Parts: sequence; structure tokens; C-alpha cells
Amino acid sequence: MSQPVIETKGLTKVYGDFTALDNLNLTVNEGEIFGFLGPNGAGKTTTILLLVGLSVPTSGAATVLGYNIVRESREIRRNVGLLPDFAGFYEDLSAQKNLEYIGLLNDLSKTESEKRATELLETVGLGEWKNVNVEKFSRGMKQRLGIAQALIKRPRLLILDEPTIGLDPAGTKEIRELILKLNKEQGLTIFLSSHLLHEIQMTCTHVGIINHGRLVVCDALHNLTELLTESEGLSLELKIHNPTQELLKEIEGIVGVSRVLQKEDKVYVTMTSDVTLEISKTIARHGAYVLLMKPKEYSLEEIFMKYYEEA
Amino acid sequence: MAGSLTVFRKELADHLGSKRYLILFTIIILLSSLSAYQGSQYLKNNPNLGFLAIFSGQMFGFSFIQLMVFFGPIIGLSLGFDAINKERTSGSLSTLLSQPIFRDSVINGKFLAGAAALSIMTVSTIGIMIGMAIPLLGFGPTLDGILNIISLTLLTIMYLAFWLSLGLLFSVLTKKTSTSMLASVATWLTCVIVISMLATLIANAVVPITFTPTTTIGNATVPGRQNPQQTSEYRALMEQRFSIQNMILKISPTNLYSEAASAILGVIASSSFIGIDRSTPFRSLTLSQGLAASWANITIIAIGLLVCFIVSYIKFLRMEIRPGG
Repeated sequence: MSQPVIETKGLTKVYGDFTALDNLNLTVNEGEIFGFLGPNGAGKTTTILLLVGLSVPTSGAATVLGYNIVRESREIRRNVGLLPDFAGFYEDLSAQKNLEYIGLLNDLSKTESEKRATELLETVGLGEWKNVNVEKFSRGMKQRLGIAQALIKRPRLLILDEPTIGLDPAGTKEIRELILKLNKEQGLTIFLSSHLLHEIQMTCTHVGIINHGRLVVCDALHNLTELLTESEGLSLELKIHNPTQELLKEIEGIVGVSRVLQKEDKVYVTMTSDVTLEISKTIARHGAYVLLMKPKEYSLEEIFMKYYEEA
Repeated sequence: MAGSLTVFRKELADHLGSKRYLILFTIIILLSSLSAYQGSQYLKNNPNLGFLAIFSGQMFGFSFIQLMVFFGPIIGLSLGFDAINKERTSGSLSTLLSQPIFRDSVINGKFLAGAAALSIMTVSTIGIMIGMAIPLLGFGPTLDGILNIISLTLLTIMYLAFWLSLGLLFSVLTKKTSTSMLASVATWLTCVIVISMLATLIANAVVPITFTPTTTIGNATVPGRQNPQQTSEYRALMEQRFSIQNMILKISPTNLYSEAASAILGVIASSSFIGIDRSTPFRSLTLSQGLAASWANITIIAIGLLVCFIVSYIKFLRMEIRPGG
């Protein structure tokens, strides 16, 4: 792996006496879809504004595509497509005109801007709306136009700030598919922020969790899941037809089972080693029926909540 | 610079195509045509005044100068008052600034586009007035007169650009366009109406007239102001009031402009706000004399323009671009 696409060292931003971002150390490598996860006001937008040079850090340093975020922010904006939080457009101009203007601002020629704008509107599925004024666009359409706008400069990195905020499930799915497609077909590195765990889990390869301006954890998604499984142990989720107290006692007695918990009609078994077969046999011996038996995987939500509590 | 030029082109196209600009343009063209007609009529009655009087002469209503005094602030302010805060509210500012341009390109481009739109308005208005007046009068300006007209045009553009930069300042300082619009309207009313009322009030308070003016009707002397006896004491007091009023009015850029414009046209116009009738409203000046007489006014307008622009520029560069706030 060559140079990281984004690298921050001790990045800090203070507004008055409020520390919006505290000593952020982050690395994003080429080809990743990096999900930046945190509740509202955690410092996600602040980080993004710092990365593209729209805000100046109080202390610390960072490079994006090898460019210094303070001294070479214009080079960064030349190579990074950004969808800002609540991206807006000129409402009284058509989608096509809006994109052409962005193209011109990126030093594209007039003919090239026109061509790129038309192509990209097709890519994001707004082809038939190209001559309609943006004021008539729905939130989802504006968001797609925002992605088109970020792509017009042929970026090497795409930064999306809350790309699916305020969208309905269908709109969210469309954006997600678009992100995955761009990453897969063009190998584009994507940095996206969100407060929606589910969305990050479905899209991203790497995750950074931020809270109160501090990076809580940052790793590949599968590592995070493993990490948590290790610390919490293996888990089984069972649904047994009429479980008796003796049965549960016996399961708890199996070597390798650390804890049995009955919650409503389900039984959760925590194991120190994989003794699934033993448990199954025990249940069969008691003449009970297994309705459901599955290893429990940690969802990002649990990872998230766990790290939140620690922070 | 490339960024500025792109912003400039887009903003100018927006201005020229906007309803706001077209409405203002229409009003100004209509009123200035009227004032060209009035000016021509006035000139026919006072043939010794020369062509330039079409801009200052009036029979009823507005001369070109008074038109600019009255409408100039609203023209300039209306092109600038929502330049920045509108984009901030709609979010297009974040989109714009995430492009590879320097932040100052945005404000420079916007200011220059506004100034260009105002220049187009001024040049075409004055052009139309001349075009109307020549056939009405049967003669045109002299060569010197053309220089005066060019100076008047430049002064007017600078004066309008001053209001534009003030509007720009309002748009940087406030978050809502409704606030900056209110500030603009308040400024306009202050300069056009309130300040002259204040000037009169203050002058009257500072120089009270301690005796009752008397009027002579037949042989009887009765109290009243209808035709006060012009005693030297009374005259002195009124002169004093007049100079205080004038000093206060100097605060208003509209008044600075009207004085400078009149001087450039070679006339000292009687100020319409002042109750005293000055016996010699017109005095011929050459262009260089006129400029010499009004350089202070011109400098103050230029400084005002620069200060407003520089403050907006610095404020804008330091602005934190946070969505919605």
C-alpha cells in the first residue's frame, strides 16, 4: 500500500471554548469505503471541513492525497469531490446549468463541462430532469445532484457528508448502490460520514467511530466484529419449545458454557469455546425441540453502543 | 483569478436576467426619460444654461441627479443585500466553496458583477437621456460637455457601487436575507428622508429664534412668518441654521453625491431640503473647477465604498462555513 489517501495527526479544532475535534488520528487507504460514524454534533462535519480546507485546524496536521490541508487546500479541492452537509444549489437554474457552473469552476472547458454534466446526470439517474430548475427537485434528487457535482472533476477521493440524511428507504438504497458502484467500477476511495449504523454496516469496509470530538475506535469492519466477539465470547441464540429449568441448568453445566440467560421465549448461551454440538445433544436428550439455533453476530449497533459506553 | 472570472460571468448573467434588475431598470429608464424631457423643457426656458442642464434641470418632479439621490441607494442595495447570505441559507455556498477556487474569488466576482450591472444601467440611462434630449433641443453637448457627462457617469457608477458594497456588507453580516433587506430599507429611508428631518430639527434646536417674526400687512405689523421682515438679525440666524443643516446632511452619501454631481455639471444646485431660497441657484463652473470643488465629496464616497467592501471581504474570508449557520 502506497501513501494513505487521508492521514491526520493530532487534528484538533476548537470553537471558542468548545472542542469540536480533539486530537484526531486517522488513516484512510486507497480503495476503501471509510465510514465515519458518530451521533449528531460529534465532530464529523468539522473533520470534513478541515480535510478540504474550508476550516483551519487549531492544532495538528493532516494530508489528503499527499497535500497539506492548510497550505495546499486548493489542490485538495481540485482532486477531492465533496458532497457537503445539506448541499445546496442555485434553485433558479436547471440541474444541467448548475453542474456546468461547477465544471467551469474546476477549470473544465465550456464544451467539456456541458458533456460531463450531461453524462453525470445520466449516471445519477437524473437524465430526464436535466433542464428542470432545481427548486422543483426533491431532497433525494438534490442529494443525487450533489454526488454528480462532486464527480464532475473526476476526483481521486469522494467525501460524502451524511449522503442519505432525510431520504426515504428507496432513496437511501439508490445512493448506497451508487456509492458501491463507484467504488467497485472506478476504484474510487470514498469517505462517508453518517449517524446511521445500519447504513455504514451495509456500505463500508472500514469504520471510524467518533464521539464528543474523539475517535473512539477505527478499524476494518470485520476486525471490529471479531474484536468484540473475542472480548465478549461466542454466543448462541436459541429458541426451545417448552424449555425446563433442569434443561437450562444442564446446559449451564456443560464445560465451555459460561452463562445462560433466558429472555422471554429465547435463550442466550455464552460460551468460552465452541460447544454448540454438546448443547444440541443435551437438548435432544431432554426430549425438547429446537425451534431456532443460530450463532449470534454482533451488529455494528452493539459495537457502537459498547464503545460509546466506554468513551 | 480564473475563479473570479467564472463567478463574475455567472453572477452578471444572473443579474441581467433577474426580475429584480429588470424592474429597477424599467423604473429608472422611465423616470430618466421623463427627467430628460423635463430637463429639455427647462433648457428651452433658460437657453443660456447649456446642454448639461438636462441632468440637473427640473420643472416638476425629478431631475436625473434627484432621481439618483432617491433611487440610487435602493438600486445598489438591492443588487447586493442577499449576495452572500442567500447562498449561505440555501447551501449553495458550501457547494461553491468546495470547488478549487479561493474564497475571495467568490466575493470579488460577486462585487464586480454587481458593479458591472450597475454600470450597464447607468451608461444606458445617460445614453438614453442624451438620445432623447438632442432631438428635443436640436443641439448636443459640446466637447467639454462630453467630458462632464463622462465624469458624471463615473461618479454615478461609483456612488451606486458604494450602495452595492454596503448591501454586500449587510449580506455578510446577517444570516437571514429578511434581516439584511430590512437593514437596507432602513438605510435607504434614513438617507433619503430621516436625515433631512433630523437636520432641520437639530438646527432649529441649536439655533432657536428667540423673537417672533413679524409680517407687515398694509401699515400694521402682525406676528407671523408669511413674509417675515428680513431683519439682519433674522437673516443671520437663518444662515446659521442653514449651515448646521448642511453639516449634518454631509453625513448622508446621497447628499455628498448630489453636491458632487451638481458641481461636475457646473451648477450649484439649490438643495431641495432646505427651506431658504437662495437667490442664485446656478453658477457656471468648468469641469476642473467642479472637480476641485467636489473632490472631498468624491473621496468620502470612495472611502465609504472601500471600507464597506474591505470589511465584507475580511468578514467573508473568516466566516465559518457551517451549514445553516
